[in-house]
Amino acid sequence: MLSLGPEPDPWRAWLADVRAHLPVLDMLARKDFQTRYKRASFGVLWVVAMPVLQAVVLAVVFSRVARFDIGDGSYTAFVMSGIFAWAYLAGTVQVATTAVVDGASLADKVWFPRAVLVLVPVLANLVGLVVSFVLLAALVPVVGDWTGWRILLLVPAAALLVGLTTGLSLVVSALHVYFRDMKFIVQAVLLVALYLTPIIYPADLLGRWSGWLDLNPATGIVELVHTAATGSALPGRALVVSVIATIALLLAGAEAHRRRDRLFVDLL
Amino acid sequence: MTTAPGSDSAAIQLQGAGKRYDLLQDQAMLLRAVLPFRRPVRREHWALRDVDLAIEPGETVGILGRNGAGKTTLLRMLAGVSRPTEGHVTVRGRVAPLIGVGVGFHPEMTGRENIYVNGMLLGLSRAEVDARFDAIVDFSELHEFIDSPVKFYSSGMFMRLGFAVAVHTEPGVLLVDEVLAVGDIAFQLKCFARMRELQAVGTTILLVSHSMHAIRLLCPRAVLMSHGRVELDGPAESVIARHHELLSDEAGAVTASVAPVQVVERSLHNAAGDAHAVTQDDELVARFRLRFDTDVESPHLFFRILSEDGQLAYSMQTTIGQRHRTFLPGEHADIEVAFSPRLGGGGTYRTSLVVTDTSGAVALVSDEGGLLFYVTPRLGVIGPADLDASIRVDGVVLTEHEPMLLDDEA
Repeated sequence: MLSLGPEPDPWRAWLADVRAHLPVLDMLARKDFQTRYKRASFGVLWVVAMPVLQAVVLAVVFSRVARFDIGDGSYTAFVMSGIFAWAYLAGTVQVATTAVVDGASLADKVWFPRAVLVLVPVLANLVGLVVSFVLLAALVPVVGDWTGWRILLLVPAAALLVGLTTGLSLVVSALHVYFRDMKFIVQAVLLVALYLTPIIYPADLLGRWSGWLDLNPATGIVELVHTAATGSALPGRALVVSVIATIALLLAGAEAHRRRDRLFVDLL
Repeated sequence: MTTAPGSDSAAIQLQGAGKRYDLLQDQAMLLRAVLPFRRPVRREHWALRDVDLAIEPGETVGILGRNGAGKTTLLRMLAGVSRPTEGHVTVRGRVAPLIGVGVGFHPEMTGRENIYVNGMLLGLSRAEVDARFDAIVDFSELHEFIDSPVKFYSSGMFMRLGFAVAVHTEPGVLLVDEVLAVGDIAFQLKCFARMRELQAVGTTILLVSHSMHAIRLLCPRAVLMSHGRVELDGPAESVIARHHELLSDEAGAVTASVAPVQVVERSLHNAAGDAHAVTQDDELVARFRLRFDTDVESPHLFFRILSEDGQLAYSMQTTIGQRHRTFLPGEHADIEVAFSPRLGGGGTYRTSLVVTDTSGAVALVSDEGGLLFYVTPRLGVIGPADLDASIRVDGVVLTEHEPMLLDDEA
């Protein structure tokens, strides 16, 4: 039974509604993934080709030209692991920002929680993330030194990365319905954030300023990936920030969607 | 048939429901709305206000009204997509909305994939879609195209697929918004037949349509919306009549004010009085009152009947050059046109009166909006003309149609 008043759905009802639509999400994510690569001859290869290419270019440029010092580990493993994680976050958030608006034709007249649309790229890009992390694990002993048990840290890092990406995506997708500038703001922020996260250069390079990087919620996650790929020390404070920010963004994003879910359509 | 609001058995119930849209001068200014320096101009618009409506399970109700009367907003709320700003909306049973062509479809996916997505969005499980898949494809008649991306589909094909999926979800409540109009006649008949089957199994159907035929054929009850409110709720015939009366009133309000001749009054009557829903055999009288602002010698008149889309269905003119009298500024002329609306397939028509000078060359006023009226179709006839054709096969006449009865009347 559908019963609508001016008040937003209660949390329990909204979450149950999202859960009830998980099969649809699964289906849409599969199709999203397939349609993106179906017509390309190399298909799924492209999922990881871009981050790999980016990592190779950066590795060549910065290890030969700039010569960053990252201690014992290999710079190639360092930059590759960081780029792989970043590619998932940036690529997903970018697409998810406009997901609610772009999904208008699918969603305008049939009800389902709009969060489903946002979760589609989160889930579809997960394939790329998993493939690239597996590839990373395989390449670590080739381009650097095997890190032993630490390689398993890729699992919690991936989980946290997906959480942060989901939270961010939910928040910006809701904002984008109201402020269509959001798409460009997200683009700009992601562009800058790549350099405010220790992906291309090690945090130590900033000397006494390096502590500020810990405020970036992506830093802790990227550092965790570094630990897995290069055997560097486990991040402390940065990881705590990442976890707290992830939880906060997830709650804020879900709350934004819960409150506005049946009102988004009025602005599309 | 109608239940007082507050009943708890209704399939669809609205209690004081309203929907307000805040219209901004410019969408791009949304961001500025939160910035301090310049607040954009906001305008409130109530698309729906104070709507009380109760529809019992198994009822089929037509929704009429001009564009912007709130029909689509109403359906959106019933589909659960949009939340009321005030009041309450309750819908019992699985809702299958058929609102707009191609809605709920993903252009990049094939017809097959879209059947799954659409079916699942309408509340079926994957296994349930599996079980209905062949029936859906059969109904849509899209066998050859089912594995093509739907972005290559025509609007008619979209509609077939949408309708096929919706009716196969065995909905408790079916919401249909004008989508039938894009199908070809054969498919429309199939849809009507299917809707009758759904009626028979107790599905509640809400049909928004500008096709009075569709409403007359399917809906014993109709609701007329006007400016976001319920104007009339009752038997379809009387609601259709009221709809045309309103249309006539609003059309009448827009006469050009600079013409040398003004149409100051117009009305349409049959034997019973004011007429806006008429039968083929009615003897109608259209009356117009003209006021002259300059002197006009022996004006020449065209009385025309236009179809809904503005096509000329019929025209009768006075004899060109025939002298009758001269009208001075401030004088009135009463025009009376007696006619029978033998407009075969029936539908919505409007009158048009054109007044010219004696030669018929210079138009003095053209009253295009005119009076709107709905003509009951003669069974079996499509198109504005009625040539009284009969079809015989080996001597047996096959064109003597029995009136189709609504299920309620049977």
